[in-house]
Amino acid sequence: MQELGKAESNSTRIIRQDDKRVIIEKDLDTEYMVLSMGPQHPSTHGVLRLECITDGEVVVEAEPYLGYLHRCFEKYCENVDYPGIVPYTDRMDYLAGMNSELAYCITVEKLLDIEIPRRVEFIRVIVSELNRIASHLVAIGTYGIDLGAFTPFLFCFRDREHIMNLLEWISGARMLYNYIWIGGLAYDVPADFKKRVAEFVTYFRPKAVELCKLLTENEIFVKRTYDIGIMPADVAINYGWSGPMLRGSGVKWDLRRNDPYSVYPELDFDVPVPDGKFSVVGDCLSRHLVRALEMEESLKIIEQCLDKMPEVQGFDSRALIPKKIRPKAGEVYGRAENPRGELGYYIVSDGKSTKPLRCKARSSCFVNLSAMKDLSKGQLIPDLVAIIGSIDIVLGEVDR
Amino acid sequence: MSEYFSNIKTGATTIATGMAITLKHFFNAVKRKGDAGIDDADYFRQVDGLCTLQYPKEVIPTPPHGRYRLYVNIDDCIGCRQCERACPVECIAIETIKTTNDDLAVCGKTSGGQQKRMWVPLFDIDTAKCMTCGICQSVCPTDCLYHTAVADFSEFDVRNMMYHFGNLSKIEAEAKRKKLAEQQAQAAKEKAATGAPAAKPAPKAAPQQKPGGAE
Amino acid sequence: MSSSPSLNTWSDALSGFSIGWFPLGLVIVAVIPLVFIALYALTYGVYGERKISAFMQDRLGPMEVGFWGILQTLADILKLLQKEDIVPTAADKFLFVIGPGILFVGSFLAFAVLPFGPAFIGADLNVGLFYAVGIVAIEVVGILAAGWGSNNKWALYGAVRSVAQIVSYEIPASIALLCAAMMAGTLSMQQITVMQAGPNGFMHWFLFNNPIAWLPFLIYFISSLAETNRAPFDIPEAESELVAGYFTEYSGMKFAVIFLAEYGSMFMVSAIISIAFLGGWTSPLPNIGGLELNTMTSGPAWGAFWIIMKGFFFIFVQMWLRWTLPRLRVDQLMYLCWKVLTPFALISFVLTAVWEIYR
Repeated sequence: MQELGKAESNSTRIIRQDDKRVIIEKDLDTEYMVLSMGPQHPSTHGVLRLECITDGEVVVEAEPYLGYLHRCFEKYCENVDYPGIVPYTDRMDYLAGMNSELAYCITVEKLLDIEIPRRVEFIRVIVSELNRIASHLVAIGTYGIDLGAFTPFLFCFRDREHIMNLLEWISGARMLYNYIWIGGLAYDVPADFKKRVAEFVTYFRPKAVELCKLLTENEIFVKRTYDIGIMPADVAINYGWSGPMLRGSGVKWDLRRNDPYSVYPELDFDVPVPDGKFSVVGDCLSRHLVRALEMEESLKIIEQCLDKMPEVQGFDSRALIPKKIRPKAGEVYGRAENPRGELGYYIVSDGKSTKPLRCKARSSCFVNLSAMKDLSKGQLIPDLVAIIGSIDIVLGEVDR
Repeated sequence: MSEYFSNIKTGATTIATGMAITLKHFFNAVKRKGDAGIDDADYFRQVDGLCTLQYPKEVIPTPPHGRYRLYVNIDDCIGCRQCERACPVECIAIETIKTTNDDLAVCGKTSGGQQKRMWVPLFDIDTAKCMTCGICQSVCPTDCLYHTAVADFSEFDVRNMMYHFGNLSKIEAEAKRKKLAEQQAQAAKEKAATGAPAAKPAPKAAPQQKPGGAE
Repeated sequence: MSSSPSLNTWSDALSGFSIGWFPLGLVIVAVIPLVFIALYALTYGVYGERKISAFMQDRLGPMEVGFWGILQTLADILKLLQKEDIVPTAADKFLFVIGPGILFVGSFLAFAVLPFGPAFIGADLNVGLFYAVGIVAIEVVGILAAGWGSNNKWALYGAVRSVAQIVSYEIPASIALLCAAMMAGTLSMQQITVMQAGPNGFMHWFLFNNPIAWLPFLIYFISSLAETNRAPFDIPEAESELVAGYFTEYSGMKFAVIFLAEYGSMFMVSAIISIAFLGGWTSPLPNIGGLELNTMTSGPAWGAFWIIMKGFFFIFVQMWLRWTLPRLRVDQLMYLCWKVLTPFALISFVLTAVWEIYR
């Protein structure tokens, strides 16, 4: 595979240069073809456009073009007050709304310097871990589709449906929750919530095993992803990768461990990193395996949270914060581990306004995608699709 | 060579495993999951089987506090316009007219017993714009504006997505406005007559929308 | 069951039957397979695929048109008929139009030599198997015409991939079929089937007649998947890579024709594999003592029933595979063909020859 990949198109060679005439020998009259992949393409996960320069099936170069889903998130933030931004963070990474909200809220809470009740923290962790599973399910399912396996996708969506129902039950909405608020939560959880989440965990474990058997262990799937799109750890760090992508390259970096927030330090979970036994460290299969293993870790976190969560029903979601959030002048950078990597918000407050002076979102997908050009060099078109799938972009977050 | 054969072997066995799984699902297709809501006790009881719901006939029940279509109980609205200001997408449009003193009784009280001091002739919600974030619901002092669990309210004409909740008809609103203007003009005249420095005239009615208890 | 020529008498008598100048018998003979093909393509092919995939994925599949969506395909065809038939401006019009036609004709031409029963076969050629293998290759021309004529990069990729794939897989497929031909000693489809008929039902089938027949059987089955562009070898139309492959630009009835051709060739290869290894129209039931199950379930109508059932079984397996497996990559496809299937096909060829000599 790699030999094919490295082959530069050398079909035309300059063999002799006499006077001003250039004599070109042609083996076979081939030329590069520009192939515009997307924005309407089944496997660009939304509206990503890749301009591929191809030599037959080999991609010589692929350049990602963004912006088809740009919605001026950052400018909008400057015109909406602090609580009003929360629903917009949902719409950035719409597959993991809870995680985006959590990242934003802990940033503003850092700016306001307030302490959050323990029960709220546990609920926040539960919902964001549930959402992480949902997000990874979509990532794994769509990765299956990219490689031609349709059935795992629908199994994933069947299970994600349960998570969405759970989250709708507590937040009132299925995808765009606006549940985690600055200083608290929109509502307390329903009475049976703990029981139902525990049921979900027992329901989901065998399903995850089945999914693993159907997709991850399948020899064709392994052959399609093994040794494809290798990203060495140092290059990954230089690119600023984070999340499952970076861990797929063998770097044990998880913000839940390395820059702990919320109640994560109290919880016992592993940060899965490929050991090179089943996959080449840094290839597409490693990234896929990290996601698959992380779902299990999330289940562990949820189980522990359910045990440790203080049993105090009912609280005022707005007790902690003033009616008008007007942080003192200053700037803050807060970050959290999203399913796709480090999601950070940089907020500047001028101390007078109820609106941030500047709100910059550091999107993990965008940063991860930046390595696309490097990764795609010399790959086949099917491998290019496998690489895009393994990066697991959500264009809502890339373009914001 | 051994790798060659072991490749073929793992290929065959993993493919057989996958096929066994899909075949199991194929034979499980005689069962159906049903439309148990998440708050039903037996929600996770049926693990296998078809999980499609045929939408208009069978629906996933929305939970009781599902955050979908907005509804305004206009009888409780005190016209404080906090929702209008809080809405990030500006989908709420409100117009208020101050109630004249003799109309206070007609204007009535909220269910919480609070005296309403505003007529709300126009309370329009553009549900096409609404992103169901629930912020308006959270700021409403009388809890008269809330999301309902009605999730399916699509329309063929986008103009029908504009929901009108105002409690006065256009003619009534005009009458009230006139009455208020007259009264204020009267008051201004009286003040001018008593020789006091020129009192604030009528147009100032709009900013005074904060009746007691709104904060 | 005696020798073969008499088996066709019923058919011959029917085709000779005419009312006045009107050859009614011939018309009936021609109409039966057409009706079958149309019904099959409309009901089992597309509808079955959708339902089977749905059930494997915990879905319901089409439910609205008719009882459990049984008329869904009809509705789809009606819809496609009404669609505007777009020929892209930059396309090579001739190739673009002729492509689906060649595909369709190619996939249905082989039906001529499929024996649908002891008394019913379109043309009992003495080179029937050879003809069937050869005529499948015509599809390549159609695919290439469609892909090239579309003047679309995705379509071109699909067409080039498809040609490479089908031409390569012809080899293991043909060698595997040769094993069956060797066991039968003839290339006539009807003769091959008759060789496998007998009172012991499935015991006479080539698959169980020969200890290594399972190998060419498997090889032919895998190759037939590749030849009909079915998953996991659907790289010519890989929807996640090439949008829709060689038929990206097609719409309306031309698209439907390509679709029907695919399902047609699915049945064709399934029928060929059941004729070559599973006894075609012969009944699988053996005569057990006085209970003459085999005799009871043989005959023209039963023959048609058995071959169609066997064909449907293999179509089911094809769909089952499709909805289970990911797609291979181009080079892996070639690896499988040249480094796995072809050597094994040659081995099975030699072993079959040895078995045939010394048994």
